[in-house]
Amino acid sequence: MREVLDRRPAVPWFEVHSENYFADGGPALATLERIRAGYPVALHGVGLSLGSTDALDREHLRKLKRLADRIDPALVSEHMCWSSVDGRHFNDLLPLPYNEDALDHLCTRVSEVQDYLGRTIAVENVSSYYAFPESTVPEYEFMAAVAERTGARLLVDVNNIYVNARNHGIDPTAYLAAIAPATVAEIHLAGFDDSGPIVIDTHGAPVAPEVWSLYERAIARFGPVPTLIEWDTDIPSFDVLQREAATAQRVLDHAAVAA
Amino acid sequence: MRPSLPELQRRFAAALQDSAGADSRIGAYRNTVVANYRNALGATYRVVRELTGTPFFNTAVDAFVASHPSTSGDLNAYGGELADFLASYPYGRELDYLADVARLEWALDEANRAADACGSPEATLAALAAIPGSDVAHQRFVLDPSCRFLQSPHPVLRIWQVHQPGAAGDGRVDLRAGGEQLMVRREAATPVIERLPAGDHAFLSSLAAGADLAAALDAALTADATFDLGTALRTHIASGVIMAVAH
Repeated sequence: MREVLDRRPAVPWFEVHSENYFADGGPALATLERIRAGYPVALHGVGLSLGSTDALDREHLRKLKRLADRIDPALVSEHMCWSSVDGRHFNDLLPLPYNEDALDHLCTRVSEVQDYLGRTIAVENVSSYYAFPESTVPEYEFMAAVAERTGARLLVDVNNIYVNARNHGIDPTAYLAAIAPATVAEIHLAGFDDSGPIVIDTHGAPVAPEVWSLYERAIARFGPVPTLIEWDTDIPSFDVLQREAATAQRVLDHAAVAA
Repeated sequence: MRPSLPELQRRFAAALQDSAGADSRIGAYRNTVVANYRNALGATYRVVRELTGTPFFNTAVDAFVASHPSTSGDLNAYGGELADFLASYPYGRELDYLADVARLEWALDEANRAADACGSPEATLAALAAIPGSDVAHQRFVLDPSCRFLQSPHPVLRIWQVHQPGAAGDGRVDLRAGGEQLMVRREAATPVIERLPAGDHAFLSSLAAGADLAAALDAALTADATFDLGTALRTHIASGVIMAVAH
């Protein structure tokens, strides 16, 4: 962060995990405010537990609103998942069954959050390793319905589509086709770990060729949507990150020329 | 009948916590959850982990998580009870300073996240001067929100210092060097740790806990009969530790 303030790199926007700036004060928040003075900032939450059947955590929501009011973010996003039940948090993005019950519940919660924050949020598809036998619709229909019913935007994680396609036999082409281009606010890319029986979304490797190719198809359908490459573990040198970002930019530029 | 959403989440949570569970798909989540807590607490309690070694630390964290489950989606706020947990943990008893080192690391973490200080020494002194003499004894004060106080029978600051990256010296600690009264406070961007005289420590920690001036003075004199109230007020108002007069 300090480096950003010193070098002022030509980056279109910054995205941070919302919870990392929930503090009442201190240096991290002050740095984020200084970055915000020069760049748009998106807030990406990992802990709201949107799909949980516990009551929404009002304290968490209050801190998110306080941060959003302070930063005036370009986008506030959360995940299409749950993290807690009966008051116990697992601090992880756990999978939902894709059925009418869960859809009703998630849509009610998304609307509650949007009303409280006074802004539209974006909801992101998660990678998953477990598919509930209780699911009655494909994940992409569920995701598209959340946007349709609540007016929420979608944060499409192309790597997670690929990981879930591998883990659960979902058709990635049908996935992209189900998402209305106008609902897509942002795209995420990342690397995964394919060394075991299940493909694990680690955010700790380069974006795979298959994911780049799916990304090209996503951009062809959705247009040049702002794209973020997530890399949170085993972070490589800045040069490697810049090369990854340049690859994404080439796809986006190509789509802009074709449009 | 199809199970309800709460029921499905409860079943999933139960499977997640069953370390003998055979389903590798749930196991993938279990591995992530276990690693997340180990990494998060390992970052907060870096010196504790260095003192015990990572395998001991991870095993202790797993037991801590099982007995003190997280209740918040903000992982940064999790783990404040680790010191008390370690104090009653049946293993590692020979490291009897471990819990106090954990307390120090948590205090540093809290200081980092605390609200920014406000006000000025001049305003505090003016407000204090305006209080009628008969009311001064019952006056309470507001301390810099990042201040944390701890005392230990062990040389925890010295232990913490020799485990900092690039620490100078031979890294030896005399464990019989005696105890310490410490104040942690964020100054500018970084929390700093300061040794306090026993009287000042008792005085400030009493004020921080909401005691009025008379009670804080009692505590200070009990700790150190030579404690001087005027000097202490001037010093700690000037430094901003005593940030304001409470209303």
